[in-house]
Amino acid sequence: MDPNEVEFLGEKQLVTIIPSFTFNQIHLISGSIGPFRAGLPTQVPIWLAVNLKQQQKCRIVGQEWMDAKLLIDVKDEEKTSKFFTKMPSDHYMDETLMLLGVAPEDIPQAEEIRTIVKDLWDIRMSKLRTSVDAFMKSDSAFAKLDHLTPMEINCIRPSLPHALDQRDRIQTCGSRPRDSQDTQRS
Amino acid sequence: MSLCHSYMPNYFSIDDILSSQERVSCKIEVKLPGLGYLDVSSESPDLQSGTKLDLPHWLAYPMNSRTHPFVSIEVPKIYKEAYREILTADACAVALNKWSCYFYEFGIHLAQYEHSDCNLIQDLLLQAFKSRFRLVMDWAHNTGTDPTVGLQLPILERKLFLTGRKSRCLLISWLKEGGGSIETSEMVANHKKRKRAELEDENT
Amino acid sequence: MFGEKALELIKELERSAEGIPPFNDDGIRQVLEEMRILCQANFDDIENPTTDPPNYSSVRVRHMAISRNKRCILAYLYNRLQKIRQMRWEFGSILPPEIKSLLSEPEVQWFTSYSKALATYMRSIGDNYGLNLATDVTPPKSLYIEVRCLVDYGKLDLEDGEVIFLKKNSQYLLPRAECEGLVRQGVLQHVTS
Repeated sequence: MDPNEVEFLGEKQLVTIIPSFTFNQIHLISGSIGPFRAGLPTQVPIWLAVNLKQQQKCRIVGQEWMDAKLLIDVKDEEKTSKFFTKMPSDHYMDETLMLLGVAPEDIPQAEEIRTIVKDLWDIRMSKLRTSVDAFMKSDSAFAKLDHLTPMEINCIRPSLPHALDQRDRIQTCGSRPRDSQDTQRS
Repeated sequence: MSLCHSYMPNYFSIDDILSSQERVSCKIEVKLPGLGYLDVSSESPDLQSGTKLDLPHWLAYPMNSRTHPFVSIEVPKIYKEAYREILTADACAVALNKWSCYFYEFGIHLAQYEHSDCNLIQDLLLQAFKSRFRLVMDWAHNTGTDPTVGLQLPILERKLFLTGRKSRCLLISWLKEGGGSIETSEMVANHKKRKRAELEDENT
Repeated sequence: MFGEKALELIKELERSAEGIPPFNDDGIRQVLEEMRILCQANFDDIENPTTDPPNYSSVRVRHMAISRNKRCILAYLYNRLQKIRQMRWEFGSILPPEIKSLLSEPEVQWFTSYSKALATYMRSIGDNYGLNLATDVTPPKSLYIEVRCLVDYGKLDLEDGEVIFLKKNSQYLLPRAECEGLVRQGVLQHVTS
C-alpha cells in the first residue's frame, strides 16, 4: 500500500463544515450527505470538505481533538508510556495534513497543532522501529501492538513481512527435503 | 506485478540460479567415464577418482546425494571457524558483500548438504541476519544516504534495503506534497533516460 | 564446465534490471546445441555401455547439466515475459518502436494477445459496462488537473467532442480521466502547485 491509499481511506472520516450555500440532500453510493443550509454546521466526509473549501464554498471547523493543549497532553502520555497509547483519531496524521493544508486560517493555532502532531508522529515511529527490531531479534512467531494507526502500520509495510519471510527461510533451511533443485516441481 | 514483495526462490528466479552457481570444493569419489574434460589439468578422457575440483553448487549438490554420492565436499572457509568468530564478535562491522555477494543464499543451499560443518551454518546465518537487521533498516530509513550504499550488502539484505528505502521515499514525498499527483511510470522514465543518454553519446 | 552459455543469458537479464536486453537468439541456440550434444552422449552411453555392469554415473551427471540448461532457458524466457507484461501496464497497448525492436517475434505476438485478453476482460466488467483498469493508479483528488506538455504531441480528441492541440511547454486544464494515460506515458507532466 502506499501513503496515498491510506490517505484515501482517511478521507472517509467525517468533519464539520459551515457551508456558504444552500442545497438539498445528495444521495451517493456511500451514503447521503446534507442537506446544506448556508451558515449552519453540517458533517461531511473530508474529501468533500477539501473540495468545497478549494472552491471557497465553505469554512472548515477543526476536529474536536485539534486543540493544542489536548494534543500536548497526548504527546506527554505517549512519551512516558512504554507502549503505544490510543490516538484521538485513527487517521490523526493524514487528517491533520489534509485539513491544515487546505484550511490553515479556519483552524485556530494551526501551526502549533502541526508541530505537536509531527512530534507525536516522530515519537511513535521511533518506538515502532525499536519494537520491530526487538521482534526480529527474538524468535517469536507473532507480536501484538495496540493502538497503531493505519498510516503507521503502512510505514513498516512491506519491510517487516519481507524480513520475517527471510528469517523464516533461514530458520527452516536445514530441514528441507533433499531433491534436485534444477528440476521443475509441478 | 506480484503482490508479494518478499523474495522466495523458485524455479524461475534469477537470483536463485545465480546463487546456485557459487562453487564448492569437491573431491571426486568414483570414476566418471567420458567426463575428463571437466578437469582442465588432466589429459585423461575419464574423470579419475580422487580429483579435486571446484564445482558449482547446482552440480555438486545432486552429486553428493545420500544414496550414491559421487563427490565429497568441503565447506567454503567463509562459513567456518575463523570467519564465524569474526561474525559473532561484530556482525555489523563486516562488509559481508566482500565475503560473498550471495552469503545468505549460498549459505542456505550449503546447510542442506550432509556434512558435519553444515549443521552450524544455519545458526551462523540466523545470528548474522538478526544482528545486522537494524543496520539495514537504519540505512533504508535514512534517505539522505547514497542509494548505491545498498551495493555493499549481500543480495538478501540488499533486497530488504531497497524495499525499505522505496517505502520510506513514498512516505517522505507524501508528507511533503500530499497525495494525488500522477507520475510518469517508472519504465517509461527509465526508457526516456536511456534514449537521452544514447543521443548524447551519438552527438559527442 | 557445463552451463556457461546458459549462465551468460541469465547474467544478461540481471545486468539490465530496469529495461530489457535485445532477444539473444544466438545464445539460446548455443545452449540448445549443448543440450543436444549432452543428450546424444547419454544415448550413446546407454546403447553401448563401455563397462560391464554398465556405469551410468556419467549419464546422471550429464542429465544434471541438461536440467540446468533447461532451467536457465526457461527462466530467461519467463522473466522476459514478466517484463513485457509489465510494459503493457506502463507503456499502454502500443509499444515504442525502440522497445519493440528488442523483442522476438513470438514475444510481440504474446504482447498482442495479452493486450487483447486484457481489453476483453476490461470490457466485460460490470455486466459488459466496461471499466478501464489502467486509470486511477493513485487515488484521484479532483476531476480536472493542470498539465504541462513535454513534447509536441499534436491533436487530442476529448470525450465531449472538443479537440485540443498539445504543444510543447504549454499548460492546459484537462479532465483527469482523459489525460492520466498521457501523463503516465511521459507526454504530459502533472503540475501540482
